[in-house]
Amino acid sequence: MDVLLRHLKQGPDGVPEYHDTNFSAGALSIGSAADCGIQLLGETIAAEHALIRLTGGKITISCRGRRRVIVNSVPIATAELKVGDRIDVGGHQLRLLAPPAGFDIAIEIQPNPDVDPSAFERAFRTDLHETWLSKRKASWVLAALILVGALLLPLAMIGWHRAGNATPPGVPDDTWWSAGPLSPAHQLAAGQRCDGCHQSLFVHVTDKACRSCHKPIIDHVSRERLAKTALGAAQRCAECHREHNENAARLVIRDNDLCTGCHARSDTRFGPLKVTAVAGFARSEHPAFTVDLLKPMANTASVADTQWETRRENIASAREQSNLKYSHAQHLDPSRVRRASDSSGLGCGDCHTLSADGEHFVPITMQRSCIACHELTFDPAAPKRQLPHGKPRDAMLLIQDYYARQAVDPHPLVSAIERRRLPDRQTEESIAPCTGPAFSCAMQRAQAEIDNQFTRRGCVSCHVVVDTHGGDVLERYQVTPIRLTADYFPDVHFSHRSHAVQKDKTGDAACLSCHAARAADSSAAVLIPDLPKCLECHSGRSQRDLVRLQCISCHAYHPKPIIAANREARRE
Amino acid sequence: MIHEGILRYRGSRYLWWALTLIAASSLLYATQSGNHPPSGGSWQGYVLGSIGALLIVWLTLLGVRKRNYRARAGSVQGWTSAHVFLGLALAVVATLHSASRFGWNVHTFAYVLMCAVILSGLFGVYTYLAYPRQVALNSDGRARSALFAELYELDNKGRELALVCDPSVNVAVKSSIERTTIGGGVYQQLFGIDRSWFLRADAAGTGSALVSNVDQQVVIDFVAERVSRAAKRGEPARLQALITVLCRRQAVLRRTRRDIRLSAWLRLWLYIHVPLTFALIAALVVHILTSFMYW
Repeated sequence: MDVLLRHLKQGPDGVPEYHDTNFSAGALSIGSAADCGIQLLGETIAAEHALIRLTGGKITISCRGRRRVIVNSVPIATAELKVGDRIDVGGHQLRLLAPPAGFDIAIEIQPNPDVDPSAFERAFRTDLHETWLSKRKASWVLAALILVGALLLPLAMIGWHRAGNATPPGVPDDTWWSAGPLSPAHQLAAGQRCDGCHQSLFVHVTDKACRSCHKPIIDHVSRERLAKTALGAAQRCAECHREHNENAARLVIRDNDLCTGCHARSDTRFGPLKVTAVAGFARSEHPAFTVDLLKPMANTASVADTQWETRRENIASAREQSNLKYSHAQHLDPSRVRRASDSSGLGCGDCHTLSADGEHFVPITMQRSCIACHELTFDPAAPKRQLPHGKPRDAMLLIQDYYARQAVDPHPLVSAIERRRLPDRQTEESIAPCTGPAFSCAMQRAQAEIDNQFTRRGCVSCHVVVDTHGGDVLERYQVTPIRLTADYFPDVHFSHRSHAVQKDKTGDAACLSCHAARAADSSAAVLIPDLPKCLECHSGRSQRDLVRLQCISCHAYHPKPIIAANREARRE
Repeated sequence: MIHEGILRYRGSRYLWWALTLIAASSLLYATQSGNHPPSGGSWQGYVLGSIGALLIVWLTLLGVRKRNYRARAGSVQGWTSAHVFLGLALAVVATLHSASRFGWNVHTFAYVLMCAVILSGLFGVYTYLAYPRQVALNSDGRARSALFAELYELDNKGRELALVCDPSVNVAVKSSIERTTIGGGVYQQLFGIDRSWFLRADAAGTGSALVSNVDQQVVIDFVAERVSRAAKRGEPARLQALITVLCRRQAVLRRTRRDIRLSAWLRLWLYIHVPLTFALIAALVVHILTSFMYW
């Protein structure tokens, strides 16, 4: 379309001047930009403000975006124009004239005299706020994204998990809230389900959640006993066992403070509970050791029914009462006892075998530890006939049966070997030759051997035998049962395996460096070392040439079930 | 200058505040001992976290204070000085609160956002120190609107002078004015990209083609070349006058583009700093809420 633009200007003498330009284009643009058909400046005028078109003989004006022009005093976005219409664009006056011949449109332009040329700047985008950059929009979008992605979606996923569903791939869930990695065992058990432990929002992890898996864990102190002290309420499991640590080893507190925080002042803070104060692992800080010893109870009805109790005693004054007659000193003396197989002296390992736990020993029994040397033969003439162990009555019957058979056997085992039994010659000689019936003689001979076994040699060598002087020979001798203490320190743990090699000792030398067995000539001796022995190599503090021990190196915070039961039994 | 003033405000008073805060926070951190390693979950960790959260809220309030011209609680300059130094101290406080335990979680995310906010703020401090002087040197202390007013006058003068010249010169000059670009999008503003064009009549005089007119040099060369070929009387003088206008226009455009470029860099950091700040506040809310939801 061909456009005639008539610029109206105030001449130097006040007379209006016209300046015509013609213009040929598809559409006539109005705006502050230099490339607009009608360039108008002003604060309210956009670079491209409006467009005038000629379509099918009709002239229309349409504004860009939210821009408006005032056509005949009415603000409009689009309008059809006719000759004589006045258009106000930011104070500039435009008037549609009747187009002269050869023109489609004629417009008279009267610029707004108040507009400063500096408003030309508005024709360009010269500031970042005129671009797509927006502080406000970006702030809202980012904040909303974070709140939805990191808070609302994970919250929704908690309910989704509780309904038994897994997190759909790519959806953020409450694992995003994790403050750090779980220890591997908990990671394996809890996996991606935070609500296994965090059962309620805004509530600390409860002990119930812990105990749903850790059922056998026993409290360090029962709540009833704790209530008697000035230590306050019981702590939650999670107060000590802090999860989501980068170092999984931190899940268990190893510092002595955990123990000495209370136990160093047990005299003042434990109320009526009598617990020895412990401040560390030194002579001045740690009490001397006490051992749990098995002791026969004094008031038992009969020897066979002996009842046993565990009694805790100071090592210095403790005496074993196992009812076994035994001398470590004798057995470890190669001039007195030699191994049957190679005639060398006995070692610790000949009787004591370490258990799989590395702490305790396989129990000593006749069958396992003694029989290799101590056969239970009673007649040298019959070296294969042995008495049954642990069954005194059966042993007596066997002796009677043996001599009964000898009495009627046409070829009795009359042994010249008996003459070797020099120490007992007197005894045997004292048995007068029997002239009575064969059975009576046999019983008489058996009686002599039974007396021999239970009073002079044989059973009585190791066992304590009580002679009831009863009439019935089978009931006369009562063998006191033997019970060896299996665990002297049930409350603590100790690795014999790691102590089997010491700084300059191995083998028996290592054992004997702590257990004074060579000097123990009686089974009453307690061979457990006391505190000073440990302090030769260990210290409670980091010290050169000493191995540091922490409280939990030996003591467990949560007692084993057996320990807890023992404690309760002792208190009763 | 006022921009240097934010760092040296009242003898760097807030620098000493920040250093004191850092020292106090470090001492508090060092008291974490005993059975648990330092973390944000100890009482010291909670105190450090609270200080950090309050700092973030207070630092954000600078945006409110700047808009409130009637406020009497300290000068904006003082606030800005404190904002810079305490913002830097926040990095230390938050690191102590985190006890340097980082992972792929919302907590570390908030920390990373905070670091990004502080780094963008540091960039802002740098631009405040480096750019205003360059802006003043470039525009001779004149406002940008003055540059545009001058440009507008030169545009009109150029158009008028070109009107009485050869039609090819008229088309060239008129199109070079219309097709002069200043500023534009983010990229154009930041790097002063000039995508100006003009219509140049070809040698045969049968048509014209759009030619790049970076820095207006090509259209000046085009008109200058016409001076030697001018046949009409008086035309060389008119062309000479036109060249003078075009060259003045070129100089004004250079200054204007540089002014826009410097201003864009001076303001760019805020377009990062502010949105990241609100992202940080959202992440902080998530961090605090989730810490107590699963504690």
